[in-house]
Order: sequence, then structure tokens, then C-alpha cells
Amino acid sequence: MADSTLIAENPLRGFDRNHAGIVVAEISGFSLVSIASPLGGEDALRAAIHSWLGISWPQVGSSTFSRKDKTRLLGLQRDQIFAMFDHPGDHAVRVISNQLGEAGYYTDQTDSWVMLRVSGAKSRTALERICPIDLDPKAFSPGAVTRTVMEHHGAIILRDGQNSFVLLSARSSARSFLRAVERSVDNIDHRV
Amino acid sequence: MSRANRISGGLINQRETIGFKFNGKRLEGHPGDTLASALLANCRKLVGRSFKYHRPRGILSAGSEEPNALVSLRSGAYREPNTRASVVELFEGLEASSQNHHGSLERDLMAVTDLLSPFLSAGFYYKTFMWPRSLWEKLYEPFIRNSAGLGKLSLDRDPDCYDKGFLHCDVLIIGAGPAGLAGALAAGQAGARVILADEDFRMGGRLNAETHEVGGAPGRIWTGVALGELNELENVRVMPRTTVYGAFDHGIYGALERRTDHQSPSSFPRHVLWRIYAKRAVLCAGATERLIAFGDNDRPGIMLAGAVRAYANRWGVAAGKNIAVFTNNDDGWRTATDLAAKGVEVTAVIDTRTEVAFKPPDGARAVTGGRVTKTHGRHGVRSLTLSDGQVIPADCLAVSGGWNPNVQLACHLGERPEWRSDIAAFVPGRNVPAGLSVAGAASGALTLAKALQQGHELAKIAAGDLGFDGSTGTVPAAEDERCDITAFWRVRESRHRAWIDLQNDVTVKDVELAHREGYKSVEHLKRYTTLGMGTDQGRTASVLGHAIMAELTSKTIEETGTTVFRPPFTPVPIGAFAGRSRGKDFRPVRHPPSHRWARENDAVFVEAGMWLRVHWFPRPGEGNWRQTVDREVAQTRASVGVCDVTTLGKIDIQGRDTAEFVNKIYANGFAKLAIGKVRYGLMLREDGIAMDDGTTARLAESHFVMTTTTANAVNVFRHMEFCKQCLWPELDVHLISVTEQYAQFSVAGPNSRRLLQKIVDSELDISNEAFPFMACGEITVCGGKLARLFRISFSGELAYEIAVPARYGDSMFRKLMAAGEEFDVVAYGTEALRVMRIEKGHAAGNELCGQISARDLGMGRMVSKKKDCIGNTLSERPALNRDDGLALVGFKPVDITDQFRAGAHLISLGRAATTENDEGWLSSVAFSPSMGHTIGIGFIKRGQERIGEIVHAVDLLNNTEVKVEVVSPHFVDPKGERLRG
Amino acid sequence: MIIEHPLLGPRDVTEFTYLGDASLIDRPDWTGEEAQVDFYEYLYLRDNPDGQHRELWFHEQGDRSWLVVTRDTLTHEISNVELALDVALARGRGR
Repeated sequence: MADSTLIAENPLRGFDRNHAGIVVAEISGFSLVSIASPLGGEDALRAAIHSWLGISWPQVGSSTFSRKDKTRLLGLQRDQIFAMFDHPGDHAVRVISNQLGEAGYYTDQTDSWVMLRVSGAKSRTALERICPIDLDPKAFSPGAVTRTVMEHHGAIILRDGQNSFVLLSARSSARSFLRAVERSVDNIDHRV
Repeated sequence: MSRANRISGGLINQRETIGFKFNGKRLEGHPGDTLASALLANCRKLVGRSFKYHRPRGILSAGSEEPNALVSLRSGAYREPNTRASVVELFEGLEASSQNHHGSLERDLMAVTDLLSPFLSAGFYYKTFMWPRSLWEKLYEPFIRNSAGLGKLSLDRDPDCYDKGFLHCDVLIIGAGPAGLAGALAAGQAGARVILADEDFRMGGRLNAETHEVGGAPGRIWTGVALGELNELENVRVMPRTTVYGAFDHGIYGALERRTDHQSPSSFPRHVLWRIYAKRAVLCAGATERLIAFGDNDRPGIMLAGAVRAYANRWGVAAGKNIAVFTNNDDGWRTATDLAAKGVEVTAVIDTRTEVAFKPPDGARAVTGGRVTKTHGRHGVRSLTLSDGQVIPADCLAVSGGWNPNVQLACHLGERPEWRSDIAAFVPGRNVPAGLSVAGAASGALTLAKALQQGHELAKIAAGDLGFDGSTGTVPAAEDERCDITAFWRVRESRHRAWIDLQNDVTVKDVELAHREGYKSVEHLKRYTTLGMGTDQGRTASVLGHAIMAELTSKTIEETGTTVFRPPFTPVPIGAFAGRSRGKDFRPVRHPPSHRWARENDAVFVEAGMWLRVHWFPRPGEGNWRQTVDREVAQTRASVGVCDVTTLGKIDIQGRDTAEFVNKIYANGFAKLAIGKVRYGLMLREDGIAMDDGTTARLAESHFVMTTTTANAVNVFRHMEFCKQCLWPELDVHLISVTEQYAQFSVAGPNSRRLLQKIVDSELDISNEAFPFMACGEITVCGGKLARLFRISFSGELAYEIAVPARYGDSMFRKLMAAGEEFDVVAYGTEALRVMRIEKGHAAGNELCGQISARDLGMGRMVSKKKDCIGNTLSERPALNRDDGLALVGFKPVDITDQFRAGAHLISLGRAATTENDEGWLSSVAFSPSMGHTIGIGFIKRGQERIGEIVHAVDLLNNTEVKVEVVSPHFVDPKGERLRG
Repeated sequence: MIIEHPLLGPRDVTEFTYLGDASLIDRPDWTGEEAQVDFYEYLYLRDNPDGQHRELWFHEQGDRSWLVVTRDTLTHEISNVELALDVALARGRGR
């Protein structure tokens, strides 16, 4: 029958808040696909990625960025990366497989995560309260990415600007995670 | 009350006044005061009563080592007991009260216990309250709790909030005295990332309390310049009010930052507990002065000499009108000189040494080779008697027994300090935590020039180790003051009690008693007498106590040693350790996609790990949960029900060798699973015990999707990564969790297909022929939306699970409920899910309990002997294949009105309910609305052969014994016709 | 504790989970004549050294790699950290 279509919903339904210059906003419209490199097929996959985006396979802990579809490749594991790219639709895996063919194994991760951006001059001070990673620009420069744990939430943190961080955490606990981030923003002294 | 003891100068702002309350009385102080300095300025010598004897007590020290002046701060739910007045920063409106007295502080009714002191010596409780045993709970313990102890908790919920955080640095400098400041400058100027932390609200350490010069200027001026410079450096973080309380493995330090304690309550976190990751650390924690044991040395007004000096120099307070000094070292003399320079009358300087190079201030007597044998004065000292019989007037006695380097953090990882007889103190030994060095007084360098030099040098080396060049910095000029000492511990002539540990009321006699009774090791001494316990951890007392034990045992102090140092260095509130983890913030909450719909529909929720799942959906008119669950089951079995099963773990497995890999993970065969099919899989541990189960679908040649139980999702993923990386690294397999990616709903019941046909796009055929039991596929729903459909059943009914991307989860659930309206669809929760799986005889968490093999589950033949898989080899060991092994069977009551519960043990008829006769247990029990009586599944020895036998289900917790019949575990549709229909 | 991850540098131990002795990598051949005995020894018999211990840690809240960590059980000093995958290959697994 299929009389009417399904309605998509972001985990935090588009949350956006500015607290004394720190902006916490849900990112929407981006897709996330994991790309695993076949054993023995690493070079072919890297070549396919390079010819598509003109960028290289990221080292674990770093990311590479292409303006094509604003695609960022997040180096999370030695043999598995995430592609984060501008695609609001349902066919994220198809976008990747159209470009890379059978060079890699792809799994849609878009709906697995809530994506938040925390930005503003004091964003690092706020994140000090929950993030065990050293966010000093010398240790974690723009483009750096890693998976860690924040307030019992598994989380991926990406620095996508001097004062801008993208946080990914499990969709089902998005509300708890947001609360952890918001409290970190609220708990710091914004005067100094 | 006048502030008669206030003198000029000090690092306080005497032009401004702040009001505070002590025991309800309004007093005044100045910005920069501590509660202790303000109380002294107000001539309040008596500030509390002692722990055991309720002796009047005053302020002993000027720092965090304070054993005596413990007060409660604030009021109501904000009240905090056992705070040291000597570190409380004064602010307008501060409320403080004294502790441990019944009636007023001056007239404590419990002071009578002091008269009983001959009976209350060390070990008193152990000896006295042994019998009769029956009196312990009713009499002894309430009595002890009432008479002993310190402040009282409010017992209200703590209204303050606390936070935690993480800091990283190259060099952590612990303590901002001369060594710390010089070190922070050296490392900071070299370019290293530096954290400078100090427990005080004013940095500078002893420089604030002394009159020394640094670089040709008063020490306090240099401190100001140094701090100004440090604050300018972007790579230096200056953290006052921050106590580094512990050193942990690999350069991790714990620190407590007190952020709002010096203000009125606010919504900001009161404390932040920092975990500091430091590549290097320099411990510049200074030293703590210790007492000398002599008769009645605990009276208010008897203070540490360095503290008396600090109150005069830093806080502009004379601790008395006529002050005497009792010392065994040069430093005590400085107190006399500094006081005299401030115009305070010094009556005498009594030095235990016979040869002394100092001259007393004008008007003061110098007594060399002298000893104070006793003191006089009821609520405070008035005079002293010396060993030669002289009586010296003094309303304050400044005592210096020498200085103990603050070695604690250098010993937190189990290191032992070493004795240095030249300074009569323990210093950090050769072993200190990796990456840590110790500078200044903490290392035993008790003089100023040495402290500056060491702080500078060691911080420079630390920074240099990390590649920072600190060669440009210089050490400011200063002098090394005289600090000779001849160890002197106790005045033997004293016949009155001589205190060692003021906080725990431990006297020389207690140490002697412990010695007589065999508690000679310092660890035994500590536990027998409580020497060195409490909020101060014996910082002014322990070495003194150990030295006296050394005398008694005729051993050296070195041989006698110290007790083990453990974090925290000073007390840390439990609230700070808890941080935000209170109430709903205790742990994350995971919501399945249908959560909002469930809330709108009055669901009752249950926690399943972090998941908040629906327990059941009550309807108006239902009197109890059983009626609700019975309805949910009945409606599902009669027509169709929908349940959110998103919480099951889902693992996406891809790669050329996926089939082979899955085949190794599961005990049963998976290599030949056809594309578009699902199979039940049983996962064993290597020891042959069942680990988890679930269904795994093959979506493509090299693409499987596995489900796990909700509880084991994380463990199974970890296990599979282990197998992949450590056991079979040659396989091309890639794992990623898709638990969160898909909203997955079970649609079960005879009308489930008809319901789904309204959802699934019409060109797709999901008839029984086209999409039979255990089929699966990627499909489209609701006009082209990607979805996955699995024909699997947990309930035993014709059933499907449908998965859509989580973004559509809420919408999909609503769509299913709307499309099902014509079939009278019911949403069901985890309890109905449970009832139906027990009715069907499916094992779940209660059965996969960590001691059950495949054979016990009746799946022994599933374990392949033709392939290598985890657990198959040890499945064959004899212990798992005994003739009288357990088997999963069903149970029903002989009298169907009888009820029984899970956990009941199974005993043959005619046998006693003993461990020897125990033959198994009921693992899952429910009331079956389909059968109309209680049913259960469980394990019993030789179960397969015993179908039809009657046994007892014995529940010793509830004292019930019910006759049950052993039956097949499949109560509903044992032939499986429904799920294939 | 801090584990110096070969790919990611120093990481707090809270990101890791512990499994046990690194000898768990050396899973016996199931077709061996003494397979029962071999598996019994593999699973149940462990050295319990006071000193250097090679052990398996999983970087669960990280890059999901299994690591072989050489740790002194007396001091907690960690002297070596390797990817378990590399160790497994070096020990002949996957041939």
C-alpha cells in the first residue's frame, strides 16, 4: 500500500545554542560511511580515493579533506576510515560505491551517530571537562581526529578549525551526550 | 569582641573589613585573612574540642596540616564538617562553627571524658567492649559513635555541584613557594607547557610568611613579579586553590581545584577534580613543622613556631600578648626575632640545645638546654614550667620540633623515604615516581637560596628532557639562612600527658602502651593507637610518634621507618570524586527509536543496561501489570504485535573471507548459508560454554549482518575483533557496529504478513513462497525507502523483523501502528517478549549464564566437529559430556493453580532439599496466558529422559515447595507450524 | 596508567579493556593429536610472573586494535607496546 512516505528525523532535531560565545549545534545534511580496505587491496583503494577526491588515505589520528562534496576522510583505524560528506539523502553508500566501485567495503554510519559542532574561542576550555585527549593545537591540530570516551560515552572528536570541534557519539544516547557537552559549556567561567 | 591581636602590616587589606560568624557570633576580619587568622585576631584561642577526650583545642598551624582547628562551614544542606580553619579563605558572610562538644564550646558536657582518660588509652575499645556481645549494637556502638568522632554531616542532599576535567602539560610544578616559582619560571621561559598548582589562595608559599629577601627585594615583592611574569606566559597555567592530592602511574596526577569555596554558594561547580597528565613533574611541596612532646602540650595557644611567625608576617596577627618559643633548632629563633621586630613581646626562648649562637630579643630570657615540662591554663595556656623549675608567663607558646619535608607525593607509588640525620627528617629516597623530581624544602633543602636554585635547576632539566632550552633563565639571589637542628622528641621529665597526635588524642603513653603490648611496627602502631590517621594524616605527628617508638625499641629512626603514604595528600570531598555522576547523570541513557511514541502511549519503562526499554503499555482499566502483559501476549498471538528490538547488537561483517570467519565464530555451520537467508547461531567461548546467540543474515556473497543479545553486544564485538586480529589475521574481514544505524522492529502474529504488506512496496512479494521462514533481504518500504526485512521469530508466531535507517525509526513505528489498526495491532514491551519466548522455549540471558554448554541447551549436535571454530574442541571434554549432565526442559505445575519462581531448585520427590540432592534449577518462569498457568524452563540432570516425571521446585528464599512436571520446553506450537505458515 | 599506543601515542587506560596473557594468541591446532590437552593448556595454564608480563589490551574507545603490552607487574612500568596483529603475524598465525 505504502500510502505516505517516512519522515526523517535528526537525533537532536536540529539543536543549536550559543552560550556566551560557545556555539553547540547539531550538524545535519552530512552523511557518514565507513570504508574498509580489503586485505591486499589497500593500494587499489587508495588510488581510487585519490582519483576521486585528490586526497590521500588518512593516517590513524588524522583526516584529509577535499572540497568535492566537502568530503573529509577520518582516519579512525588502520584498515577502516569514515567518509563524512555533504549528502542529505538516503543513499550515502551508493554515493561512495559509485565512485570507488568494489575497491572497498562500505557501511552506512550516518544514522549511527549524533554529530555536534562545538565552536567558539572557549570551546577548548569547555571540552577540557569531558575530553581526556590533549586538545592543545600542537598536540591536536586542525584536521586531527580520534575516538575516545567522554562522560561514559564513546565519542569521536575531530578538530575542523582552530576553535571548532566536531563531536560524534551514539545516536541513541544523543540527549545524554548533549547534556554532557552543555554542562561542560555551562560549568566554565566565561568571564576570564 | 575586639580584634586586639591585630598588628600592622601583613598581606591582607586592613582598610577593608569583612564580617563572618563563628558559633553564631559576628566577627570581623580582612580580605586576605583565613578563618584561623581572623579568629586569632579576634582573640579566639579556643576553637574546638578534641576527638576522644574533648580537651579544649586551639589553632596549631597556619596550613593544610592543621590537626586541631576543625570547624563546620556554612549551614543547612551546605554544611561541611571537618574543615581546617587554617586554610579557609575568609569572605563576607562566612558561617563557621566549632565541633565535637555537647553544650557550648566553653562548657562541653563531654569534657568529663578527660577525667576518664586513664581508662581510655589505646586499644580501649578492643579491650572493653568485647562482651557481652549482645550489647554491642544497642549500647556500645551508639555510645562510641556519640562520644567520639568529629563534625556531623547534614544528611541532606549536597546542593553543590562538582565537575571533573583533564589537563595536559610538559611540566607540572606542585607548590608555588620559592622552589616552585623559580621552577615554573625556568620551565615556562624555556617554552614548556607548565601547570603551576598550589593549595593556597595566595601563591608564594613560605615567602608570604617570612621576611627573607629575594633578588634584593622583600620576598613578597619578588613573588608578585614572578607571578606577574608567569601569568603573561601563554604556555603557563597558574592554578591557585588547587591541591595536587595524589601521584599515580605514568605521570598522572590528581588535583582538586576549589573554585567557589571562598564565595557565597552559586550554580557553578564548587570543586573541579582534575586528572593532570604531566610528562614531567617537580614536587615543590615545602616542609611541615612538627611538635615536641611535653606535658599538656595541647592547650590552646600552643602553636607551631613557623605558624606563629606566619600569622605575624602574612596576616598581621600576634598569636598572643606574651609569647614564648620552645625549639630544638635555629628556625625557632627566627620566630622570636620576627615577633620582636613587629613589637610583640617575647618572654623567653627555650632551646633544648646547650650551645646556641643566637641572642634573644630584648626583654626575653634565653634558656639553653631547657625543656618545658608542663603548661598551665584552662581554656588556653597562661604559663609554662621548665625542667629547672622556672615558671614563664606566656599566653602563646611557639614550638618547633624541626621540619618534615612534604615527601608524600614522592611516595604515593610505594616508594620509601630516607632518613637524613643532619636535618633530623625523612627526605624522598632514590626511588621516586618516574618523571618526578623533588626540589626545595620537600627534598630536604630547607634554606631559601637552595630552594630557589633547586627549583630552577630541576625544572630546567625537566624541560630540557622534553627538548626545551632553558639556558637563558637565571636564579634570583638569596641567602641560606641557618637551620641547624639537634633532634629532640620528648621531654622525659613530664609527668603530665604529652600529646603526639592532637587530632586523634594520641599521647606518649599510648605509644608506650602499644610498645608494651607488642604493636611495635609503625603500621601496627598506627592501627592500634590511630596515630597519623584522620584529616591531617599525622603531618605534624607521625614522625614524632615513630621517633618515640624508635627510642622504645632501641632502634634507629631509619630502621623504624614510616607508614605507607597513600593519596589523597589532603582530604578530597566524595562529591568531587563523584563529579557529575549523580542522579540521572550517573550514566548515559540510550533511547530506542520508538521512545517518543512509547512515552506518548503511557509506557512503563525498564532499564536494560543503559537502554531504557518499554516494560509494558498499560491501558485504562487494567488493574495490574499481569493483565497488561497477558493482553499484549494474547493480542499478538491472536493477531499481530509490534515490539522495538533495536537494542539487539548488530554487527556488519564484510570481506572476502566473511563466510569462513563467521563459520569460525559460531559453533554451528555458516559457511554454506545462502544469500538471502538467516540462520540461528550459537557462539561458544573457547571453553565450550555458551557465550551468546542470535541470528545472522547473509545479504551478499561477502556481506553478513549478525545480531547479538542486547547485553552482550559490546563483548561479542570485542571477541570478534580478537579473533580477527589475533587468531586469523590472514582473513579479509571487516567489522563495524550498526546497532545504532538501524531501527529494528519485530512484527509478530498471524496477521504480521498482512500488516507488512501495507508497508512494504507493492512490487515486492513477501508471500510465504517468495519470502519463507528464515528469508531475508534488502527491500524498499513506504515508497522507495531502503529497509531490511528478516523473517525470524522469537515469539513462535509468524513473525518478521523490519529494519530502517534510524532517522526513520519513529516514523516507521507510527506507520506500523497505523497500518495495523485494522488488525487490532498491539505494541508490546519486554515482559510480553519474555513471556512469549518462554512459551516457545527459547533460551535467553537467564539460560546463557556462563555455566551452560551447547549440550545442556539441547544443541550439542549443532556443534560442528568438522570445522575449526571457537569452543568446539573443548566442548568435547568429559566434564561437559557427563551422562547425568544438565538439559534444558520445560516445567509446569502439577496443580495448575500453583505458582513458582525462577531460581527455585529442582529436587526429586521424597528427597530432602539439600545441596547434595540438588538436580538443577528453574532459569526462566512466567505466567503463560496461552496455557493459563505458570510455566518455566530450566535445567535438570538427564532432563531429556525425564519428560513426564514429577519433581519438587524448592524455593528456600520464599519458603515454597511446588510439585512440577518435567515437560518439553516448547509450550506453544511445538512443531513450529505457526512460524512457517 | 597510560598506554603508549603504537599508532596513537599515549592514551589513558580508561579507553582500554584488558583480556589477559598474550599467549592467548597462540591458539593450538584443532586437528592436532593432542588437541584436547593443547587447548586445556592454552586456556587454563598461565604463568603469573612478578615482573615482565606480556598481555593483551583492546583499545575499545579508540582505534579498536588489540595490543600486546609488556608491563612490569611489580612497578606497572610499560616497556613495550605492539599491535597484536603484527605479533600474531610474526608468530606465524595466518599461514
